[in-house]
Amino acid sequence: MAAEFEFLEHTSDIGVLAQGSNRNEALIAASQGLTSILVNPADFKPLEERFFKASGSDEAAQIVNWLNEILFFFDTEGMIFVEFAIESWNANEVVGHARGERFDIDRHEFRTAVKAATYHQFESRPAPHGWEIRVFVDV
Amino acid sequence: MQLEKIDDYRWLIPRTYKAGMRTDAMVYANERLLDAIRKDQSLEQAANVAMLPGIVGRALAMPDIHQGYGFPIGGVAAVDAQTGVVSPGGVGFDINCGVRLLSSSLTVKDVKPRLRDLVHQLFRDVPSGTGQTSRLSVSDSDLNQILEKGPRWAIEHGMGSEADLDNTEERGCIAGADAYAVSPRAKLRGKPQLGTLGSGNHFLEVQYVDEIFDTATASRLNLAEGKIVLLIHTGSRGLGHQVCTDYVSQLDEAMRRYDLYIPDRQLACAPIHSPEGQRYLKAMAAAANFAWTNRQCIAHSARGAFKRIFGDATAMPLIYDVAHNIAKLETHFVDGKQKRVLVHRKGATRAFPGQPVFIPGSMGTASYFLLGQEGSMRETFGSACHGAGRVLSRSAAKKGTTAKEIQKELESRGIIVESLTREGLTEEKPEAYKDIEAVVDVVHNAGLAARVARLKPIGVIKG
Repeated sequence: MAAEFEFLEHTSDIGVLAQGSNRNEALIAASQGLTSILVNPADFKPLEERFFKASGSDEAAQIVNWLNEILFFFDTEGMIFVEFAIESWNANEVVGHARGERFDIDRHEFRTAVKAATYHQFESRPAPHGWEIRVFVDV
Repeated sequence: MQLEKIDDYRWLIPRTYKAGMRTDAMVYANERLLDAIRKDQSLEQAANVAMLPGIVGRALAMPDIHQGYGFPIGGVAAVDAQTGVVSPGGVGFDINCGVRLLSSSLTVKDVKPRLRDLVHQLFRDVPSGTGQTSRLSVSDSDLNQILEKGPRWAIEHGMGSEADLDNTEERGCIAGADAYAVSPRAKLRGKPQLGTLGSGNHFLEVQYVDEIFDTATASRLNLAEGKIVLLIHTGSRGLGHQVCTDYVSQLDEAMRRYDLYIPDRQLACAPIHSPEGQRYLKAMAAAANFAWTNRQCIAHSARGAFKRIFGDATAMPLIYDVAHNIAKLETHFVDGKQKRVLVHRKGATRAFPGQPVFIPGSMGTASYFLLGQEGSMRETFGSACHGAGRVLSRSAAKKGTTAKEIQKELESRGIIVESLTREGLTEEKPEAYKDIEAVVDVVHNAGLAARVARLKPIGVIKG
């Protein structure tokens, strides 16, 4: 199946349900979902690359930390990513890279600021068509 | 969930509701608010908070309670300062999100003819921080001073006066803040954001005093019907978000070492006296000091905007600044004895007797100025609610209305709005929130805080 995501209802925050044919694809879809909360991603080009490494004691921590890297790059450099690649994922960390460009208020549409990805109602599990990740972010 | 009705404003979730609850949870609401509260998971979350190790008294839910992550928003929990735990989730990602109210020498009649100019000037002078950098140049050494001294740093740099500190909770500085407990990543995230508003539900509002309920307090503060005030709602920006992110992760791992169990991982906690708990409290205090400095810098920019439009004689004294996402060591009576406790207020305002409490409503309705009452010390560890509380999800709020329609509708009611984003308007439209009148009615009638004045918006700046 193609990697895809949908938004989930929550009174104060926003959830992302991301699906892919495997866990890597689901994480990429979750990353794209998070980016779509921040901005309209259609306006961005993959011009610059950044290295991603997210460690954690388990898979949930690694996924939450990976998504928080996206927010860190946005706050510190204004980077918005539209392409994600995962190179390796072991028991301790997930490593990859992402490509995008810096947010420009005159050219790009900003949507909603996100404070952090959370463990609240978090799921990462096999699904009928591959893998799904559910994560709620604090906005 | 079966709730036990105590009276018209109090509902009990007994500790027998769920295995693991160490105490009862008390919900402050009327029947109509309760119907809305029941629609999400917030009551389950209040029951989960009652499971925190070391919790004393009851877990508390204010009338603006709605579903958060881990803790409900509008939740209060006090834990024994010796044997209890601290939970970064009980403070939230936006450490010391709070509100600051400034009065002014202007009346609504003075401001109305130049309202559009004023709103535009405020929008220009107070950046939202998204795609715009702060106008303040802050060195690493400045940032460390801000984290440990709070808004005194801003005052030393010409942005305010000693009187501002007198009217800020904790004088804007929690003792024990340690800049070195804040990670380099958190500093990197927050440094370019000092003096910026942020987005989401953060705002600046030009308001007028619509009605006064407590004449003595209002006249002491030089407030009269028709007087203009400015309400600022923001927090610690990316710095606080990263401090919470860092410590949720560290405490999540520490819990295994301390053999702690909690029902939601976002409630990750550690004993207050553990090295991890102590380090979080030092970092949280530093982030709280950053937030007070942020609101001080924004107030300075806003005062400048008012002066540019209405002249240098425009005075805008600070009425008060109060946090609503914080954990604080305080002394309260528990079972008839004085006890040192750590009070987590997540979307809840400190409401000590005689202390100003501000309850912002949505951008089209009203906000309230109240004073804390004795009842808060007896029942809620000196706390009251912090806002109207969301009732619609963000996606539900966006359905069926455009930003332009909301802007036009508000303008037809005399409210000028400028927002950096469409979402700043559609997600925050008045219908997305509970009825502020009902929420304030509950805290007033329950004796937690008493009405002083109702404030209505005429100018709104959203990130």
